[in-house]
Amino acid sequence: MQEQKGSSSSSISTLSIVQMNNVSASYDSKDYVLKNIKMSITRGTNYAIVGQSGSGKSTLLKLINGMMNPSQGKIMVDYKIPNTSDKKFKPFMHKIGYIPQNLGLIKNSTVLENVLIGALPRVSGFNSFFKKFSDLEIDNAKKILKQVGLQGKAERQVYMLSGGEKRRVAIARALVQKPEIILADEIVSELDHVTAREIMDILAEAQATTKLTAIMVHHDLQLALEYADRVAVIKEGEKILEIGVEGDKIVDFQSGNYTQREILEMFSNESEE
Amino acid sequence: MNQKNNLIIGLIIAGVVVMSVNVDADPRDFAEGLPNIGIMLQEITEVDSSLFVTAFWSMLETIEMAFIGTVVGVAISLPLSLLAARNLNNKFVYVPIRALLAAIRTFPSILWAILFVIIVGLGPFAGVLAIIMYTVGFIAKLQYEAIEAIDADPMDAVGAIGVSKLQLIRFVVLPESASHLLSQILYIFDYNIRQTSILGLVGAGGIGFYIINYIKFFEYGKAAVFMLVVLATVLIIEWVSVRVRDKYIVKSQRGMQVKS
Repeated sequence: MQEQKGSSSSSISTLSIVQMNNVSASYDSKDYVLKNIKMSITRGTNYAIVGQSGSGKSTLLKLINGMMNPSQGKIMVDYKIPNTSDKKFKPFMHKIGYIPQNLGLIKNSTVLENVLIGALPRVSGFNSFFKKFSDLEIDNAKKILKQVGLQGKAERQVYMLSGGEKRRVAIARALVQKPEIILADEIVSELDHVTAREIMDILAEAQATTKLTAIMVHHDLQLALEYADRVAVIKEGEKILEIGVEGDKIVDFQSGNYTQREILEMFSNESEE
Repeated sequence: MNQKNNLIIGLIIAGVVVMSVNVDADPRDFAEGLPNIGIMLQEITEVDSSLFVTAFWSMLETIEMAFIGTVVGVAISLPLSLLAARNLNNKFVYVPIRALLAAIRTFPSILWAILFVIIVGLGPFAGVLAIIMYTVGFIAKLQYEAIEAIDADPMDAVGAIGVSKLQLIRFVVLPESASHLLSQILYIFDYNIRQTSILGLVGAGGIGFYIINYIKFFEYGKAAVFMLVVLATVLIIEWVSVRVRDKYIVKSQRGMQVKS
C-alpha cells in the first residue's frame, strides 16, 4: 500500500511479481540500451511501459521473459531469475506469455494449431509429434478463441487473417499457456483506433478475470494511461517517470515531485521532438 | 575502377584462350565436324518405332528408380538437415554433420553408381543407391539452408513458451519451411529422373543402358527412340511439377499478405 503514496520506487514489495534493481542491459557491451532501471510491478496489475522507438522498451520485456540477461543489476520474476537458456528456468517459462512485436505466429498453420502451441508444455513429446491434443485442451483453446472473438475461425490459415485477427490469435496463444504474466510488445501500434481499443479491451478483460499481470509496451501515452494502473516512461534507456491516474489526475509515483501539469508539459515537449 | 574491371575481363578472356589451347579445344574442329550433325539427324529420323515398347518399359524402370531414390534420400536427409541447422544445434552437432554431407556431395551420381556397381553388382539397385546418396548430399544442404532462413520471430516466441526442441521442430520449423522443402523435393525428383537416365552408362540400370549401347554401335535411329521417350517424360514431369508448385507452394508463400 505504501507504493500508492508514491514515496519510493526502490521499496521491495512482497506483492511484486517483477522486481528490477539497478538493471542495465546492452547488446554489444558498449552502449547501454537500458541504464539503471528500478522497477517493481505488483502482482495482478496492468502495467504499461511507454517510450519512443529505440528507447529500450522492447529490451525491457526480453529481460523480463529471460530471452536477454542484464549486464548489470538483478531481475527477479516471481522470485526466480529469468533466463530462457537456463534449464532450471524452463518449467517456469510457460507462466510468461510473451507476444513479440511481430507476433511470432506460424503463418502456414491454422488458428487452432497456433493457439494450441501455448499448451505444448503440458503435452508429451509423443503426442505433440503427431499433433495430438486431449479433448480438454482443444475445448479450452476453443473457449479462449471465443473469448478473443475468433469463434468460427479455428481452421483458418493465419496468413489469411487481418492484422487485428492475428493479434487476437497471439493473445489466445498466450492465454492458453495459463500464464501469470503477459508481456505484449506494441501490440496495437499498427492498428486503427477502433481495432486498437477492441484488442486492448480483450487484454484488459482477460487480465481482470484471470488476475494475471499484464506488462505492455506502447508508444501512445494516452492509450497507456487509459488502460494501465501504472505507466513507466522510458527515455533513452532510463526510466524517467512512473505515473498513474488517480481520480481524474495523473500522479507521479516515482519521485512525487512532478505535478500533473508538469508531466503533461514533458509529454507535449516529447511529441514535438 | 573501370580500368581495373577491364583488366580483369582481359585476364579472363586470355585465360579462356590459353586453357583452350591446353585442352585442345579448337573451334576449327567444331566447324569441320558440323556436317556430321546432318548425318546423325538423318539417321535419327529413321526412327525404329518397334522399339517404343521397350523404351517405354525402360523409362518406367528409370522413373521407379528415381522415385525410390528420391523418397528414401529425402527421408534420410530430413533428419540430417535438422541436425545440420545452426539455429537448432550447437557446433558439436552441426559441424560433423555438415562435413559428412560435404563429403557425400563431392561425388557426382555417376561416380556413386560406379562405386555401387562394384559393391552390389550391375543393375538398377546400384543406380537406386547412387540416387539416394546424391539426394542426401544435395537435399540435406538445401534443407538446412531453408531451415536456417526461417523467420526468427516465431522461433523466439514459441521458444520462450518453454517447449521442447522436438515440439519446436514440429510446430515451428517444419510448417515454416514446408513450402521450401516441398519445392526442393519436387526439384530433386525432376533432376533425379534426368540423371537416372544416364546411370545406365555405367551399368546401373535404367534407360541409359539402351541409349549408350545403340550409340556405341552407331544405331542412332534406335537410340533416338529412347532419347525421345526421355525427352517426353522430362517434359511431362516438368509440366506436372509446375502444376503442383502452383497449387501448393505459390499459395503458401504468399505469406503474411492480408485478405479482407
